[in-house]
Amino acid sequence: MTRLRSLRALTLAFLIAFLIATLGTGFAIYTATQRTIERLVDRRILVVSDVAAGISGDRSPEELVRRINAATRERDTGDIGFLLLDATGRRLGGNIALPRRLPMGFSTVALKDQIAGLSAGRALVRDVGHGMTLVTIAETEPFDDYNAARVRIYLIGFGSILLVVIGGLLFFVITIGRRIGETRRTVDAIIDGDMSRRVPVDRSGGEFAHQAMAFNRMLDRISELMVGISNVSNDIAHDLRTPLARLRSQLALALRRAQTDGQRDDLETAIAMSDELLEMFAAMLRIAEIEGGDRRAAFATLDLAGLAEEIATMMQPVVADGDRTLTLKPSPVAEIVGDRQLLGQMLVNLIENALRHTPPGTRIEIGVATTGTTATLTVTDTGPGIPEDQRKLALRRFGRLDASRHDEGHGLGLPLIQAIVRLHRGTIALEDAAPGLRVVMALPKG
Amino acid sequence: MSLNILLVEDDAVFAQAMAEELRGFDHGVTVAPDGRDALAAIDSQAFDAVILDRMLPKIDGISVLERLRSANITMPVIMLSALGRSVEKVEGLEAGADDYVVKPIAAVELNARLLALMRGRGWTGSAGDTIHAGDIVVSPTKFRAWRDGIALDLGKLEFKLLAEFVANADAVLTRAMLVERVWGYDFAPTTNIVDVYVRHLRVKLTAAGGDDPIRTVRGVGYMLRG
Repeated sequence: MTRLRSLRALTLAFLIAFLIATLGTGFAIYTATQRTIERLVDRRILVVSDVAAGISGDRSPEELVRRINAATRERDTGDIGFLLLDATGRRLGGNIALPRRLPMGFSTVALKDQIAGLSAGRALVRDVGHGMTLVTIAETEPFDDYNAARVRIYLIGFGSILLVVIGGLLFFVITIGRRIGETRRTVDAIIDGDMSRRVPVDRSGGEFAHQAMAFNRMLDRISELMVGISNVSNDIAHDLRTPLARLRSQLALALRRAQTDGQRDDLETAIAMSDELLEMFAAMLRIAEIEGGDRRAAFATLDLAGLAEEIATMMQPVVADGDRTLTLKPSPVAEIVGDRQLLGQMLVNLIENALRHTPPGTRIEIGVATTGTTATLTVTDTGPGIPEDQRKLALRRFGRLDASRHDEGHGLGLPLIQAIVRLHRGTIALEDAAPGLRVVMALPKG
Repeated sequence: MSLNILLVEDDAVFAQAMAEELRGFDHGVTVAPDGRDALAAIDSQAFDAVILDRMLPKIDGISVLERLRSANITMPVIMLSALGRSVEKVEGLEAGADDYVVKPIAAVELNARLLALMRGRGWTGSAGDTIHAGDIVVSPTKFRAWRDGIALDLGKLEFKLLAEFVANADAVLTRAMLVERVWGYDFAPTTNIVDVYVRHLRVKLTAAGGDDPIRTVRGVGYMLRG
C-alpha cells in the first residue's frame, strides 16, 4: 500500500472511503426497506388469500370464483389482484391475467409481467384443492412513483451530506495548505538568510496560532544563537588578529634589527608563517561574511559566460606560467543574478585549485551551459582527481585530503566556493572527469 | 618623502612597533591611544596623514573620521581595522577614509599606501589628460600607451597595470594595492598573478629596446621609475 503523505492523497483517500461508506449505507437502507415492504406485503396477501380461499380449503370452483369476485369488490382488498386457475392452467376467474406461470409459494413480479396497473409486487401461488391454484398479487410500491421518490430522497439526503463533507474538506485542505505554505515561505526566506522573517500568527488563536507562535519562538532562539556565533567570530577576528598584528610587527621590527643573514632568514620565515595564519583567518571571515547573506543585497544581473571568459583571459598567463593550459568552451550567454566579485573570486579560486593540485601539462577547461532555469558552470581538469569517498571531505572546512598536510593551501578553498554557490542558491558537485576532477556548479537563472 | 603622521591605535605594543617601523621610513610619528586624544592632537598640530584604528576607546574611529570630515579637515586618512568585512570597508570609505586596510599590515605596505595617497592627491590631471613617466605616455581615455613614441600593444589588464604604475611613478605599489586597483578585487588571489602580469608588461615595454623601467622591491612590490 502506498503511504499517504501528501495532503492531497490523504484528502482523496478520505473522500473515496467516505463515498464507499455513503453508497454502502444507501444500499443497506434500500435493501432493508425493500425487504420490510416485501415482508409486510407477503403477510397481507397471505391473509387475503386465506380469506378468499377459506382457511379450510376444499371449496368448489364456483364458490371460489364467487368469493374472489366479492373480494375484488371489497374496498380493503380492492388493490389486490386475484387469479384462479384450474389444473390445466385455464383461467377460471379473478381480475388479472398473467402471461407466465408463477412458481408455487411467494415470488416477485415486476413491470415485465405486464400486469395492468402494477410495476412491482409480490405474488402468492397456492393450491386451493380440486387441482386449482390461486394467485394473489399485491403491489410493493406504497404509493405511485415510490422508486423515483426514493432516488430523490437519496440524492438530496446523501448528496447534501456529500456536499457538506467535500466543502469541509476543501476548506480544511485550503486552510492547512495555506498555513503550511506560510511556514514554508518563512523557512525558505530564513534559509536564504533573512533571519527576520516570522510565520504570521492568526489572531483568533487556536492550534495554528499556537504552532506558529512556537515556531516563531524557536526562530527567535536560533537568531539569538546566530548573533552569538557571529559575535564570537567577530570577537575571534578582533581578539586573535590583534595579538597576531603585534606578533607580526614585532617580528618585522626584529628583522629590521637583525645582524646576520641567518637571523634574517629565520625571521622572514616566521613572518611568512604568521602571514599564513592571517590568510586562514581572512578566508574564515570571508566564508562567515558570505554565509551571512548580506551580500545578496548587492546582487545584479550578469552574464556568467562573459564573466568566465573575462576570468579565463585574466588567468591565462598565470596558467601558462605554471605549464598548464586553460581553455574556455564556447558558451551561450547565461544571464544570472549574482555578485560579480564573488563569482569572479570563485572562478579564480577554482583555477588556482586546479593549478595547485595537478601536475604540469594538465589541461583545465571552463564551460558554461544553460538549461531552462539553470546556468551551469563547469571547471574540468585532467589531473589526478579526488577519490569518490573523499569528495565530501573536500568540501568540509579544513578538510584537506593529504594526511601529511604538507600540501599548500589552508583547506578553505572549496568550502569558500561552496559558500559562494550557496549564496547564489545553487548547488555544487564534484565529479570524476576520468581522469581528473570536474566541479559542476548549477546556479539558478534570474 | 618624509611625512608627519598621526597613528591612532589603542594597542600600545602594536602602536610602538608600527611607529618605530614607520620612523624607519623617515616619517615623524605621533601616537594617540584613543579617539579623544586623536582629535586633540589634530587640533594642536598639523599632520600630513592619519592612520586611524577603527575600534578605539572613548570615541571610535568612524566617529573621529566623521568629525574630521564635517570640520572640513581633508588630510588623507587610512583606516585600520581588525575586521575585514566588505560592508565595514564600505562604511569606512563612506565615512571619508581614503584607504581601508585590514590588520595586521606590514609597515612597508602601510608606507607604500601612505606615499601613494600623498602622490595621488598631488596629481590634479583631469580624465582627458595623458599621463607620463619618463619616456612612457599613457592616454587613459583612448586606452593607448607609448614608450619613446612607439605605440605599445597591451591587453586590457596590462594597460591598466601600466596606467597605475605611471600615475604612481616613483612610488612603490604593493601586490595588494595592485590587485585592488588594477584587478578591482576585494580578495587576494593566492597565485602570483601580479608577478606574471608585471613580467609580461616588462617584455612589452622593452621589446623595442630601452632598459626595464620597472623595479622590483623585494618583499614589497614594484615601482616604475619616473
